[in-house]
Amino acid sequence: MDESVISAQNINFNYGETHILKNLSLSINAGEIYGIIGPSGSGKTTLIKIILGLLKLNSGELNVFGQKVISKKLNRIGYMPQISALYEDLTVFQNIDFFARMYETKNRVEIIHTLLEQVKLLDHKNQVIGKLSGGQRQRVSLAIALVHNPPLLLLDEPTVGLDPKLRHELWQYFEKLSSQSTTLLISSHTMDDANHCQKIGFIYDGSIITEGSPKELCESVENKKMTLEEVFLNIVSNR
Amino acid sequence: MNLHRIIALIRRIVLQIIQDRRSIALIIIAPLIIMSLVGFSFIDKPKILNTISPALIASFSLFLTFMLTAVSFLRERQLGTLERLTTTPVRTFEILIGYLISFYFFAIIQSLIVVFFTIFVLGIDYQGEIWQMLLIVLIITFVAVNLGILISTFAKNEFQIIQFNPIIIAPQIFLSGLILPVSELPSYFQVIAKIIPLRYAVDCLQGIMLKGNSLNEISNDLIILSGFGIIFLCLATLTIRHLK
Repeated sequence: MDESVISAQNINFNYGETHILKNLSLSINAGEIYGIIGPSGSGKTTLIKIILGLLKLNSGELNVFGQKVISKKLNRIGYMPQISALYEDLTVFQNIDFFARMYETKNRVEIIHTLLEQVKLLDHKNQVIGKLSGGQRQRVSLAIALVHNPPLLLLDEPTVGLDPKLRHELWQYFEKLSSQSTTLLISSHTMDDANHCQKIGFIYDGSIITEGSPKELCESVENKKMTLEEVFLNIVSNR
Repeated sequence: MNLHRIIALIRRIVLQIIQDRRSIALIIIAPLIIMSLVGFSFIDKPKILNTISPALIASFSLFLTFMLTAVSFLRERQLGTLERLTTTPVRTFEILIGYLISFYFFAIIQSLIVVFFTIFVLGIDYQGEIWQMLLIVLIITFVAVNLGILISTFAKNEFQIIQFNPIIIAPQIFLSGLILPVSELPSYFQVIAKIIPLRYAVDCLQGIMLKGNSLNEISNDLIILSGFGIIFLCLATLTIRHLK
């Protein structure tokens, strides 16, 4: 049985004359934390938007939960965009509550309180988003992505702008979700994030240039003492 | 169509505007300032004021509603919340109905202020029934809400929305009969005036307020005006789908 939650085969996406994704292939298994790691402009956000059905690919095959049509699978996907995308005039609770209503989440209030506790924002639940710090907004955005308890989470640069302590706590939380069989696709440009992933796909210029666990990737080069960042730079310079 | 999601959308948009006290104040004060400025300029010339008041009511209802809707909807796109919304199971049509009803709620408040200020504060002479005037204003508000949503999908920022005014709103005001009766405009402008929604709203209001016409007598203009609203609604649905 195919355990892939996301399976992409030679997908291509063009924006006008520009090729954003070029024959990109990847496979993400259930319960896996998959890091799509690469520099800005390499196609990470585009890939996530294609998986969500926000962009239509030009060619190739993409299956999510074994199906091509994404629109009927949206209640099984949690999405945290790169920008927090929150209603500035509403409170933390009102923001999460609105999205919970969109997903028709049962026991809404109880679930929201549990989530607020997990992202450590219970004390700020009645605070207006406009008055929150960047890190607090990120956590509200994460709570929204989790409000319908989705089996697949797509997180676009979730740790940007967070201090090391918060980043550490967030990764602990991601690992907990993974242990509860939630699949996570996390995009990032930092190797600190890459080290936390169970599997990494280095993306460069619209293609996955190599794939494997952080350990496997470090062992794939001649100099076994290289850091992940050095491995990435090494692969890119040899292309 | 999922009614719960539509109600949640309406609840959220209304909450957002109500919690922003400055926006609420501006929604109420803006029509009062505009109508005071125009109305009191003609206070010593009641005959002129009576003649232009139907066109003033229709024009300001269109302008204020268009701006309110276009800017609010643009903000949804700029903040990324519209995109995020489309990643939930909500359908495009449900989003549009939600926005339409919410913006309609505030647009009606503005339009009612314009109508009641013109009638009771400026004290214009009018024939016909007030409820008939309100009906026409409600229909032009429907047109303006849909037009605002439609145009906002072509703008990338507030500056561009403002630049759409001379293109979308100003020609309508000029060709609707506010400055010169349509019949006195050059023949080529009279042809263009036939595809201007505001012109039909002005015709309806002039018929009711100046001639005491019944709704039956202005039914053709009413149907065309409503048709514009429905066409803009369909176009807005298509453009939002395209944005997704």
